Amino acid sequence: MKRAIDALQTHPATAPVGYDVALIVLFAVGNGVARLGSRFAITGGCQRIEADLRNDLYAALQTFPPKFYAEHSTGDLMTRATSDLSAVRSLLGFGAISLVSTTFAVVGVLVAMLAVDRWLTLWALAPYPVLLILARRFNLRVNERTEAAQDQLSVLSARVQEYLSGMSVVRAYTLEPRARADFGQANREYLRLSLALARTQAGFAPAMGLIAGVGTLVVLWAGGRAVVDGRLSLGALVAFNGYLAYLAGPTVGLGWTLSIVRRGLTSMQRLQEVIEAVARDLPGTVVAGALRPAWTEGGLIQVRPVSGMAIGAGAVRADCTEGGLIEVRPGSDMLAAAPGLRVSHLTFAYAGRPAVLRDVSFEVAPGETVALVGPTGSGKSTVGLLLARLWEPPPDTVFLGGHDVTKLPLPSLRAALGYVPQEGFLFSRSIEENISLGRDGMGPGTLRGAAEVAGVADEVERLPDGFGAVVGERGLTLSGGQRQRVTLARALTGDPPVLVLDDAFASVDAAKEEEILTNLRTALAGRTVLLMTHRLRAARAAHRIVVLDAGRVVETGAHDDLVRAGGLYARLWRIQQLEEEIARA
Amino acid sequence: MPDPFYDPESEERLGRAFDRRLIQRLVQAAHPHRGLIGGSMLLFPMLALAELAQPWLLKIAIDDHILQSDWLGLTRVAGLYIVVLLILYGLRTLESYLMELTGQRVIHDLREAIFGHLVSLEARFFDRNPVGRLMTRVLSDVEAVSEAFTSGLFAVVADVITLVGVIAVMLWIDWRLTLVTFAIVPPLALIAVYFRLNARDAYREVRRRLARLNGFLQESLQGMAVIQLFVRERHERERFGRLNSDYRRSLFRSTRWESSLYASVEALGSIALALLIWYGGRRIVAESLTFGALVAFIQYTNRFFLPIRDLGAKYTVMQWAMASSERIFGLLDRQPEIVAPAAAAPRPARSSAPALEFVGVSFAYEADAWVLRDCSFSVAPGERVAIVGATGEGKTTCARLLNRSYDVRQGRVLVDGVDVREWELASLRRHVGIIFQDSVLFAGTVEDNLRLGADGTVSPVELARAIETARAGFVTQLPKGLGEPLGERGANVSYGQRQLLAIARALVYNPAVLVLDEAMSSVDPESEALIRQAMSGLLAGRTSITIAHRLSTVHTADRILVLHRGRVHEEGTHAELLRHADLYARLYELQRGGAPA
Repeated sequence: MKRAIDALQTHPATAPVGYDVALIVLFAVGNGVARLGSRFAITGGCQRIEADLRNDLYAALQTFPPKFYAEHSTGDLMTRATSDLSAVRSLLGFGAISLVSTTFAVVGVLVAMLAVDRWLTLWALAPYPVLLILARRFNLRVNERTEAAQDQLSVLSARVQEYLSGMSVVRAYTLEPRARADFGQANREYLRLSLALARTQAGFAPAMGLIAGVGTLVVLWAGGRAVVDGRLSLGALVAFNGYLAYLAGPTVGLGWTLSIVRRGLTSMQRLQEVIEAVARDLPGTVVAGALRPAWTEGGLIQVRPVSGMAIGAGAVRADCTEGGLIEVRPGSDMLAAAPGLRVSHLTFAYAGRPAVLRDVSFEVAPGETVALVGPTGSGKSTVGLLLARLWEPPPDTVFLGGHDVTKLPLPSLRAALGYVPQEGFLFSRSIEENISLGRDGMGPGTLRGAAEVAGVADEVERLPDGFGAVVGERGLTLSGGQRQRVTLARALTGDPPVLVLDDAFASVDAAKEEEILTNLRTALAGRTVLLMTHRLRAARAAHRIVVLDAGRVVETGAHDDLVRAGGLYARLWRIQQLEEEIARA
Repeated sequence: MPDPFYDPESEERLGRAFDRRLIQRLVQAAHPHRGLIGGSMLLFPMLALAELAQPWLLKIAIDDHILQSDWLGLTRVAGLYIVVLLILYGLRTLESYLMELTGQRVIHDLREAIFGHLVSLEARFFDRNPVGRLMTRVLSDVEAVSEAFTSGLFAVVADVITLVGVIAVMLWIDWRLTLVTFAIVPPLALIAVYFRLNARDAYREVRRRLARLNGFLQESLQGMAVIQLFVRERHERERFGRLNSDYRRSLFRSTRWESSLYASVEALGSIALALLIWYGGRRIVAESLTFGALVAFIQYTNRFFLPIRDLGAKYTVMQWAMASSERIFGLLDRQPEIVAPAAAAPRPARSSAPALEFVGVSFAYEADAWVLRDCSFSVAPGERVAIVGATGEGKTTCARLLNRSYDVRQGRVLVDGVDVREWELASLRRHVGIIFQDSVLFAGTVEDNLRLGADGTVSPVELARAIETARAGFVTQLPKGLGEPLGERGANVSYGQRQLLAIARALVYNPAVLVLDEAMSSVDPESEALIRQAMSGLLAGRTSITIAHRLSTVHTADRILVLHRGRVHEEGTHAELLRHADLYARLYELQRGGAPA
């Protein structure tokens, strides 16, 4: 442009303007392409890093035991996986782009400006120190006020949440006016703080503009004088002005970039906290599993699955033998026939709480069905959690097939042990997928067979999409009983030699439960079964019944003997009868 | 008309950018702030003027002074330039503040309106709409609506004014050059629309995939035990990885469209610049154009392209805003189903009617899952009645019908001989107090929570007496006594203490008829004893119904009603019912853990 203008001025008649025009177009296109290319490369790279980070986070989350999930709410973890992750992306993406492009722009423009005129460059840069100081101070104040407004927004949303969740009390005490007044006050305060923020922000961008404008003016004035004096060409002045405009943009955006960088770093820290929780929780707990954490550079965790792990019906292969673990191969004695279960002097407490199990000992012989009963809070479910090692039992207290479960590799332990928890958790996927969970070798026949034993096949087939019906928020809602039976089918398809049912029929009505148990008896002949239940009618069919109370084994024996003994079991039995009488009345 | 509230998809829907009905509602919402809006609008022409003056001054400086070597004149123009800059600074600051002010005020008012409306809605509404969704209405949807004003309406008006001004000045400087600039407009518009539409679709896809990814993640977090139990870690990780890279790819696609849009607009701008220099240069050679005019023209051209480039982004903002305002207005238009009658029936001065009476009441929460069927009973003034029954037999429902949290399907509920539907709503709820024993405490001090709902006439002495009767003396031992702030949901007092506070609160509220919904969960024996004493203090000399979940307080009741299958199955005193050896006797034995009475 400078060349064109100068040419126009000096040789008006013969100016080769066309050539310069072509150059401008060429450069413009070149700039566009280069910018696009770099943008794609940088942004694409950052998005890849984000995706990798997300995968790493997910893999880390998979290795945490239930203890971790008891301590961290889903909401908190979700915030970390969403907003914190995108803040990190902004840091990497936008922050990196603007840092790189600002550096290049500033250096390039400075060189170009110096090449045009040294003195003019000094003049032009004169306002910039002021600009930088101002940007910094502004940035601090904006941060302060943004924080204040954000805090007040949290207060406001807490108010809304509190009143809307407590609407029954609001109605009963005619609190509507008070709720409105209370909300109104928080709302007004938020308005005040937002406006305080707005006042700070309102002045800033225009002030930057003003200073940049003054810069232009100084150039115009000082440069104009130089042109008048003949020390500078008009073209050079115009070009100079253009360069200056390039410089203004990144400078104005500086404050913003800084705050993005700061927020990104904070978020990175919060993500690290989650990922590093592995280090705190893992030693001595789930280490023996299929996943072994390893640290790589940058403090990010990578979890590498142990290869050669395939679990089909009844067959288990686990190739991890490191760390003194027991090697389990197909056909090994533990899985050939149903192994027995043994709990020996087991005392267990959840962190910081009184013991839920005290010196509990009992045994389930291979092929035997034992029922574990007791009032709510007696510790039944904890036994199941420890057997499946969802919580870590103390060493040498829980044995499967004669092996201490803490010494067994997790995949083989869990393949041998069909554990059906109380809560029928289903994923929002098809029923078929919920039962198979993507395990190999599960044909439709296997699935249907398991569903049939679980007493849910007919109901599923009556659904519009049958086994393909999708469960969940926007799909179909199953009743609590149906969910539990689908979960049971899920455990049965794995064809486990040992089955642990933790009150798995709590939401199924009593008649249905007996039907399922009858099915199970045939399907599970020869298998070891531990049945935790609060329904004694179901327990009655077990070979033996173990009665738990406040974490201790108080009685053991067959149903009739226990009823005759007149202890806790007899009382629970009487309660059950009363309930049935009331229900029948 | 389908209720937008029951449609989960509506959360993700984009609205039409301009829906006349919604715009009218928005204008209505903005009406109280018309002064502010008008003021901002007045600023726009002034701003445009100041903006347009800058290149013009540049032109004068070049043509009249620099090229004429007029040093003094140049200084004069520089002075003028400074003045324009200062004016521009002032105007911009004012404009930016006024926009924010208007936006924030609209947000404030809308929030107040929505929240005020929400608390007047009936219980059934809250059964169907999770609190989280309602919070989105109050907190984020409102922000989107304010964007419609600041980034949408205001910005469009400002852009149009600037565009008109720029075009006018350009035409005035040189109409032929202007035509050269205009030559770029059709391809620019085409490109802008094409890229923008694609960018929008891509962005929508990004949101959809992100929702899917986050949904998967949330579910995994909840079902991690299942994943671990069945050793499905790798399988799930692969699934997650696939969703993750789907998301990444769509994000990149969106970035590509977005960046291409900006890059091509910039490239077109440079082409326009080249054309201008080429054509303008020839005109300068021909001496039909001045240098200054060309330089100024180039600057005007830049200002011309900016609004056109941003138009698409504004369109998207408007679409989101419309979708949000549709949800908001849908909520505001929803009339409360349970309201006070236009003319409340006069209360009989001294009636001989029962204090409370159910006459053939039938009720169901959902379609025809009847909870109460043709249920009738009455409570005489001063009588203390307890309602017992197995879980899910409709005990709590009776309480909810008494204060019109829900309306009966059939039959009548009478209070002092007057149908509750004829009572003025607030005085009904003042008269019949429903007390939840394990009640919600609100953030605030202990005293705030005790005075909750009671008018300001409660003296400190009465307050102290209530605390004493409720055995809630522990409050005086708190570091700040009655002024002690209670944490969220009363986190800093024990469960038993919370029940005592609820009882004290009921004493302060002092309703003529008390319906007490007993706490479901049990406390330690020591607190249990305190609570029992407090309750008998609360019930003394008052017409009351106790919804007994635990049968521990029923012996002292004047009469016990046993609800079964939606009706009163049997009634009488504790002793009578035990003798009767029917349902109550069994329930009682059940409560005592299987030991016969």
